[in-house]
Amino acid sequence: MRIQESMTLYEKLNILTDAAKYDVACTSSGTSRKNDGTGMGSCEQSGICHSFSADGRCISLLKILFTNECIYDCKYCVNRRSNDVVRTSFTPDEVCMLTMEFYRRNYIEGLFLSSGILKSPDYTMELIYATLYKLRRECNFQGYIHVKAIPGANQELIQRVGFLADRMSVNLELPTAESLKMLAPHKTRKKILTPMRLVQTRMTENKQEIQLYRNAPRFVPAGQSTQMIIGATPETDYQIMQVAESLYQKFELKRVFYSAFVHVNEDSALPAKTDEGPPLLREHRLYQADWLLRYYHFQAGELLSEENPNFNVLFDPKCNWALKHLEQFPVEINRADYKMLLRVPGIGYKSAVRIVKARRLGSLDFQDLKKIGVVLKRALYFITCSGKMMYPTKIEEDYITRNLLDSGEKLPKEITNMGYRQLSLFDDVRFRENFYESSYENHICM
Amino acid sequence: MRAVMKTIYVCSDTVTGIFSGIYDAWKAGMTEEECGIALKGMLEQQLFCDYVEVEETEHKAIAVEALIKKHLGRQAYWDIYHAVLSSDREKGDAVLGTMLAAKTLPDSTKIMEHLSHPKVEKVFELSRNVGGEAHALKGFLRFRELENGVLYARITPKAQVLTCLAPHFADRLPLENWMIHDKTHDMFVVHEAGKKWVLLWDELWNDMDGNLQFSEKEMEYERLWKGFCHTIAIESRENPRCQLQHLPLRFRPNMVEFDEKS
Ligand code: SF4
Repeated sequence: MRIQESMTLYEKLNILTDAAKYDVACTSSGTSRKNDGTGMGSCEQSGICHSFSADGRCISLLKILFTNECIYDCKYCVNRRSNDVVRTSFTPDEVCMLTMEFYRRNYIEGLFLSSGILKSPDYTMELIYATLYKLRRECNFQGYIHVKAIPGANQELIQRVGFLADRMSVNLELPTAESLKMLAPHKTRKKILTPMRLVQTRMTENKQEIQLYRNAPRFVPAGQSTQMIIGATPETDYQIMQVAESLYQKFELKRVFYSAFVHVNEDSALPAKTDEGPPLLREHRLYQADWLLRYYHFQAGELLSEENPNFNVLFDPKCNWALKHLEQFPVEINRADYKMLLRVPGIGYKSAVRIVKARRLGSLDFQDLKKIGVVLKRALYFITCSGKMMYPTKIEEDYITRNLLDSGEKLPKEITNMGYRQLSLFDDVRFRENFYESSYENHICM
Repeated sequence: MRAVMKTIYVCSDTVTGIFSGIYDAWKAGMTEEECGIALKGMLEQQLFCDYVEVEETEHKAIAVEALIKKHLGRQAYWDIYHAVLSSDREKGDAVLGTMLAAKTLPDSTKIMEHLSHPKVEKVFELSRNVGGEAHALKGFLRFRELENGVLYARITPKAQVLTCLAPHFADRLPLENWMIHDKTHDMFVVHEAGKKWVLLWDELWNDMDGNLQFSEKEMEYERLWKGFCHTIAIESRENPRCQLQHLPLRFRPNMVEFDEKS
């Protein structure tokens, strides 16, 4: 292992950013906090994007590793101990200085601190704790902090860190225990789920404490998230969505992130390297489905099944669902309940809210829907306004499929050259040009 | 048949100006067809119109603000206020039309849900755009540290978003001296550590950005930040189109990480 002693801050930052960049979460959302007048920083509920990197991902937090030294050997990871790369570590002071100076200049919303395992999980967690303590208590930093809980670290230590951070995450790494065993021999499912459960329990207790004492310190107020790598192991989309669903239900996670596998190491346990690059379309479909779970009242079992375990490359999961459930359409805009409106392709959840409000003031026609932001070119096959369809159409799977594809339902091109279009997710097309509007969480920030 | 003379209230492109115009029009008790608001410097003279110059006062502006908040509610006021900051020439008319339309509703606080009304729709859309630009700038604005330690940011927004940004940064950086310069509208917000921010109009200062002296540390942090932005991107996922969609070119000249030189 190479450890360089004298390294400039610039070089360290470069190495420890490079080593952190495969972590997909970057959001600074989920909590709002005003400055108390004595320090620096605040938090916005919706989070704020400060820049976008060349891969189109949002830059919101100073995303770095504390160290890229690691005693483990996860096969998919650049930092695994068997790789011959230059190793370095920050000091707590350096992390504080970078965070404070970047924040002052409005480069960032806060800090995202992850780390390789230096010496032991406890030793590493101690260092992270020391860093956050300094940042919060000595520098009086009141901006956003997302920190990793290191599996296997002392519970007490994890709890103390949780009182200094806004969001905590433990990486699930891979969707199943078998895959984990294969690619991350030093980790086990149990070791990962234990701190996850701990954070969940502590959050619940903390909510009660806050009810009793308004000024009780807050534990992980922006909630817990996790991420898993997609495409390094053979799970189907159905398996992955079921895992995500149970994480939302049983662990009350705020977000599950999916990270298309990026080939950084040669290893016989990994899929062979191809020219296709990371499976971005697949990742995209998983994010879309994830939205359907969290905001559209769908269940994993409605979207996929054992017989049909993978998402359609041509259509987004909601459209695909609608095509398979044509017996539930067309939906009458002026009468359908909110949940059914949510299921109509071309109607986003914001449009659905607007429809419900606007129709109280009089019945809506297609022109009104357009103003509201409904994507009519997609919705028209599935809706009526006051009993009438927009054009005479057949409610037939083949017919609609053909028409949707003809009307530029873009994909085939995307599949071949992988132009990555995150926004096609959100049906509020009219307002899409102005993405900021659609609130930060709306365009998935990875 | 006699054409109805339309009265057009002419005011400056400021919140005080437009609200004063609305005050006068509202007082006159006319219908939407009979009156309108136009902005100085953006007038298109039309036949059958009476042009009346508005006397602009804080008093009128405060009265209109109170009127809107009371009858249309705070959310509608938020939308109207943002619409008034936009660069749209017909924003005054849209706001006045929305207020008049609200009068006809049984519950005037529901006015912003009435999207099928063209004026309401317009206010809604302007407000979204201005709110969007302000939100974007909360992220994209960059401070640079001057020799004397003051943080200086230059922005070139379409809308007059300074009053949307100032409270945000005042809350966030209460102990810093900072100023934000809106070069499009010759306006400044100045914040002195521990004090309230103030809004200034000053064309004299406008050429100051050529002569700014930055602190020694400034260049070092800019270099660190540029390095970070470069390294954080994953090469095999490169996607300039997606980057462009999220971060339009017009913001980039004021962002250090897109500054090619130095
Ligand atoms: S624990 Fe595994 S994933 Fe984490 S840094 Fe070490 S090798 Fe990489």
